[in-house]
Amino acid sequence: MTETLFEKIWNSHVVVEKENEPSLIYIDRHLIHEVTSPQAFDGLRANHRDVRRRDLTVATIDHNVPTTDRSLPMIDETSSTQIKTLEKNCKDFGIKLFGINDPNQGIVHVIGPQLGITLPGSTIVCGDSHTSTQGAFGAFAFGIGTSEVEHTLATQTLWLEKPKTFEILATGKRKNSFAITSKDIILSIIKQIGTDGGTGHVLEYRGDAISDLSMEQRMTICNMSIEAGSRAGLIAPDEKTFDYLNHRKYTPKNYDELVDDWKNNLMSDANSKFDKSFTIDVDKIEPQVSWGTNPAMVSDITGKIPTPEEFGQNNEIQIESAKKALLYMDLKPDTPIIEIPIDRVFIGSCTNARLEDLKDAAEIVNGKTVNADVDAMVVPGSQMVKMEAEKLGLDKIFKDANFEWRESGCSMCLGMNPDILKPGERCASTSNRNFEGRQGSGGRTHLVSPVMAAASAIAGHFVDVREWC
Amino acid sequence: MIGNVIKYEQDNIDTDVIIPGTYLKIHDYNELATHAMEGLDPEFPSKVKDGDFIVAGKNFGCGSSREHAPIALSTCGIKAVIATSFARIFYRNSVDGAFLLPIEVDDETYQKISNSDKLEINIEKNEIKNITKNETYTMKPFSEIIAKIIAAGGLFKYKK
Ligand code: SF4
Repeated sequence: MTETLFEKIWNSHVVVEKENEPSLIYIDRHLIHEVTSPQAFDGLRANHRDVRRRDLTVATIDHNVPTTDRSLPMIDETSSTQIKTLEKNCKDFGIKLFGINDPNQGIVHVIGPQLGITLPGSTIVCGDSHTSTQGAFGAFAFGIGTSEVEHTLATQTLWLEKPKTFEILATGKRKNSFAITSKDIILSIIKQIGTDGGTGHVLEYRGDAISDLSMEQRMTICNMSIEAGSRAGLIAPDEKTFDYLNHRKYTPKNYDELVDDWKNNLMSDANSKFDKSFTIDVDKIEPQVSWGTNPAMVSDITGKIPTPEEFGQNNEIQIESAKKALLYMDLKPDTPIIEIPIDRVFIGSCTNARLEDLKDAAEIVNGKTVNADVDAMVVPGSQMVKMEAEKLGLDKIFKDANFEWRESGCSMCLGMNPDILKPGERCASTSNRNFEGRQGSGGRTHLVSPVMAAASAIAGHFVDVREWC
Repeated sequence: MIGNVIKYEQDNIDTDVIIPGTYLKIHDYNELATHAMEGLDPEFPSKVKDGDFIVAGKNFGCGSSREHAPIALSTCGIKAVIATSFARIFYRNSVDGAFLLPIEVDDETYQKISNSDKLEINIEKNEIKNITKNETYTMKPFSEIIAKIIAAGGLFKYKK
């Protein structure tokens, strides 16, 4: 019988399986951050339970951390308490923590792969929906709720209903592989399949247009799988995957043996059956900009803001939601996307703050200056990314252009630390969610790629970044 | 289970409006509840009554895995969310922690229920009675697994 990659990973992790019941799945790696873990540790204490596999559990601090000078005391007391709570929990239960001043600190989904914690064929969980990022390595990586964090800490297993499979086949070749990025590919996919298109499914991205991508670009795609409602997204590992993970801090000692095994096993069998399938031709993709308040409300850069009726296509609820989105975003139908002025630029988040993202953005910025009406910032995804970028002199390019250069963290991706939009401010952001208030109450988010964000910072409005390179 | 409806005629009500990110630091459920639905309807905490139901369109609870979302709603007194579909993590968080019931209905039922209607939900019969309008609707039955978790009072109790 043929099996898809996801089914192979699932089957090799089943501990208990009964018909019409959830299966008990073994978890290989558990990543923890400060926001979704405190109640889970409280639960362990209340039930007198211990952490079952502390060797498979690692923690970092990313959501709350200030991205400015960290030698100063934190002003926000509740954040500071949440951070101290994680520090205490990790100490009490003997869990490895990459704390606020650790050179390996960073956004949890960025440091997993960088440290070689993420491995092909494994099951990876974290109390955070964008855990799907790590599916780029051919792992089943998915976000869980706090009750499940507690369950994993206590048992290293989880009860799960088996998701269905969904093939996303990306064919063709991008017309301009610098200006048209993997962010544009995934935004185009979500635009077409919708924010609930993947509900109950694990997406497997396949095809030449996917193999063509670097590991970091693949992570951007898998990162946003969750924005299409799916449980996870994954990509079969190949030579690029194996090279990326080699010689990392926690790369297993028997790595070569593992690679041999992965090469033979970790792919969907020929003719394997997916429950659903969708094909996208990347030849036709342009740079994308979101205009609304969910990640399916997206336009080509050469397009215009749609009328609610064009967007909703006879679906009353969709028409209403577009009206509401336009009101919130303060945009008028038929406005060309390139005429939308911006106030802020955020290059950061687990979607697009890895070294390549920063390198590409710096290439656009080099020698230019941020528009006088725009405040722009770059927040590396991890302290390691920051260090590597500084070795290449990227910090200097950004700073010379009037970008702020920050310490790593989630920063303005979610408006829970000091980096937030003011009400009414409009931001070109490389993050993944443009929900109302996501980057701060009343803030307006446009999701874009790093090169688009960089070029827009210079121009002061969105531009066709294909003309910039 | 009887309660009154607070209806939002919208799809994709996401976790960032159910409980905005800035409040995820809050450890105390009661304080969290004072910010429930703040991104969509700041009046919500003052108008919600214990036992109320939220009614909304498709893909309710999309976005983050924050368990704070069902917790904030349930601490406010919301006993069920009735929607045409749910985002998976929200659905599982609601059921696993026994915070509230996520109830799926078809489009027609969703259209028929109005704000402030008094409903009686009967999950044994998969039935929703609209007492105000004297109508009866069917809800989508829970899968066998979900029904068991609900009956047990959450995931932990289910697998004890
Ligand atoms: S960068 Fe944004 S999406 Fe990623 S983990 Fe942090 S808050 Fe979540």
